[in-house]
Amino acid sequence: MAITGRVSLLLLLGLVAVLARPDGSTVWLWLLVVVLLVGVDLFLAPPLRWFSVERLPAGRIRAGHHATSTLAVGNTGSRRASLLVRDAWQPSAGAQGNRHRLHLPPGERVLLATPLLPARRGELSALGVTVRCFGPLGLAARQRTLEAPATVRVVPPFESRKHLPSRLARLRDLDGRSAVRIRGQGTEFDSLREYVRGDDVRSIDWRASARNRNVVVRTWQPERDRRIVLVLDSSRVSAGRVDDVPRLDSAMEAALLLTALATRAGDRVDVAAGDRRVRVRLRLAGARDATSRLEDALAGLHPEIAEADWPGLAGAVQRFGRQRALFVLLTPLEPSAVEEGLLPVLPVLVAHHRVVLASVRDPELERMAVARHGLDEVYAAAAAEQTLSRRRATADLLETLGVHVIDVPADDLPPALADHYLSLKARGLL
Amino acid sequence: MRWLARHRLWVLVVTAAVVAVAVSAWMGRHDRTYGAALDPGNPDGDGAQAVARVLDDQGIDVEVVRSADELDAAAADASTTIVVTSAGNLGRSTTSRLLQHQGDADLVVVAPGPELLGQLGIDAFPVTTHPDVPVAAGCTAYDGLAVRVDTAQAYRTEGCFRGTDGVLLAQPRAGLTLLGAPAVLGNDQVLESDNAAVALRLLGERRRLVWYVPSLADLGGADSVSVRSLLPDWIVPGLWLLVVTGAALVAWRGRRLGPLASEPLPVSVKAVETTRNLGRLYRRAGDRQHAAETLRSAARARLAERLRLPHGVPAARLVDDVAARTGRPPGEIDALIGPTAYPPGDDRELAGLAQRLIELDREVSHP
Repeated sequence: MAITGRVSLLLLLGLVAVLARPDGSTVWLWLLVVVLLVGVDLFLAPPLRWFSVERLPAGRIRAGHHATSTLAVGNTGSRRASLLVRDAWQPSAGAQGNRHRLHLPPGERVLLATPLLPARRGELSALGVTVRCFGPLGLAARQRTLEAPATVRVVPPFESRKHLPSRLARLRDLDGRSAVRIRGQGTEFDSLREYVRGDDVRSIDWRASARNRNVVVRTWQPERDRRIVLVLDSSRVSAGRVDDVPRLDSAMEAALLLTALATRAGDRVDVAAGDRRVRVRLRLAGARDATSRLEDALAGLHPEIAEADWPGLAGAVQRFGRQRALFVLLTPLEPSAVEEGLLPVLPVLVAHHRVVLASVRDPELERMAVARHGLDEVYAAAAAEQTLSRRRATADLLETLGVHVIDVPADDLPPALADHYLSLKARGLL
Repeated sequence: MRWLARHRLWVLVVTAAVVAVAVSAWMGRHDRTYGAALDPGNPDGDGAQAVARVLDDQGIDVEVVRSADELDAAAADASTTIVVTSAGNLGRSTTSRLLQHQGDADLVVVAPGPELLGQLGIDAFPVTTHPDVPVAAGCTAYDGLAVRVDTAQAYRTEGCFRGTDGVLLAQPRAGLTLLGAPAVLGNDQVLESDNAAVALRLLGERRRLVWYVPSLADLGGADSVSVRSLLPDWIVPGLWLLVVTGAALVAWRGRRLGPLASEPLPVSVKAVETTRNLGRLYRRAGDRQHAAETLRSAARARLAERLRLPHGVPAARLVDDVAARTGRPPGEIDALIGPTAYPPGDDRELAGLAQRLIELDREVSHP
């Protein structure tokens, strides 16, 4: 039950009656007339059981991009209905303009499109569909909220896609040419071709040249079918926001870019994410849609207020296989968390694999360390210097153990990690 | 005493003023005059002191009462005339008290308005006239007399001094007289024509005269006129209708279209928050020594990096290099960044140290 603005207007019209017959009973009579009209209108309004609502699947949306949620409303009754429909979503889905006014003839079905602009990733769920059905006079309406459950998976924005073309170009550069100059242990023989001026003379294959009229050089291609294992830490340290972006989201950007690059380069990528327990475990070996599969898997991953169980996570990734791999640990360089949780498992990992720790650095810390106006800022600067020096000490300790540490601001993390991967590949160190 | 001596003049002036006010108040406490028209204590042109004095001199016992309580205390019998001036101050309650108290006394009301006439039970509307010529009495009680006034109220009822619009001295019933020509009693017109004779005959007929000047202070809430009677009669129902309309507006706008949408919020805090709180902890604990040592060691590390010195270089060598780079004496540099430098004694020194460390760093990076 709801009334409309026309009821107020109708009541206001009673002023004419009061002017004509200035008495208290006029008000009561007018009120009675209006109440009767509202009651009749409500009685004549089409019953809500005539209407059916159904949500069509919205599929997959990228955070920060426009999408549409479609709602089918049908009228199974015998009369034309005047409706106001609200397609309710949780606020972060950004369902602006989700109220639809429509006139629905009997037996018909219409599709209502509600624009969505999700503000954050994850499983966003739709709430009920509220239908308000007006009476013929437009004075009163019946209203009910119908259940129409639906969820839409909002995948991470993958802003770091913009770095992909330049990295792929460098990957192509490695193909056949760069690897010749730097002959590491892992470079693979590709083919023989004629010598052209500029080639490294050391790559001349004398045996083949002897059988040929021209000088022949060997070409090499970067090694393929290497293994990369990405480990995302979704524990409490990843919940911290750096410049309003959670560290976990920055880590995801880096993971997505590296996955996109590594699958194009012919390497296999395994992903694990977790905190107290393993939340995501994914083999992307040889999959053509590796990036989108990873996006789907990471969409619902949120930081937990708990310590990371590094032995458990390490055990989960060990089960991917024993082959030597590039281990990328996407975890913040938090001294206490690293020293207590990660350090005990590192020696085993370092012994078998190449380990990289990629961390989001907070530029706010450096700003705090040099802001020294007023006593509060001086003490805050001391605290910031303390934190920075402990981070540096932890990074030094990790380097001593043989772990390569990438500690850069959030925006630079995906390209920095991709560049490190490319440099390892160029040198054949994978 | 020095204060008194310095402000002697002012003290004298203030004392003299206080004394003068007190003396004049003491002297003038009986000489109260009343400003109301036709007041027996008002010597002005529109007062009636002259008539009251003459009546008193003629042996009439004149008693002036200025409130309903005083009127109740004054005796009223067959030898008493009660005259009411300032009749506009009579309310419903004071009029009924007056009529109850009248008894056998003769009641003279000077210039009653239409409201008061209704309360006195008289159905006569006063008409304002401007008689240009003296009005003759035309009745036995005032035979041969004439009154001359500028303005008067005439009543269409029984009485004397009949003019074109009615009588100026009405006697609608026994014991009640309405004087429509108040100027007859007034100081400045009492000597015109036969006004004085009419006044003395009207008020001096009996031995006692109670002169009642009603006071507004006697009126209660029941005497007031409600604002509502001044408003048009559709206002109140109209306002009720507006209130109902407002309620309908609230019901219209207040009805939500479905339940509130809720948002499961993920946990996320600012990453730098722990460091900020560490700084607050330092400040609350007042741990200047620790803060200063942290700042100094950070400055050493940063300076070593700027001068391309290896990690973990001895402090003495760093101090020498910095001194050579900046041209400052090594002792000064050592007091600033040396590991054995004195800790700051108070917060001001700590703030100064922090500032000087930043300046040194700037100097080394941009000599």
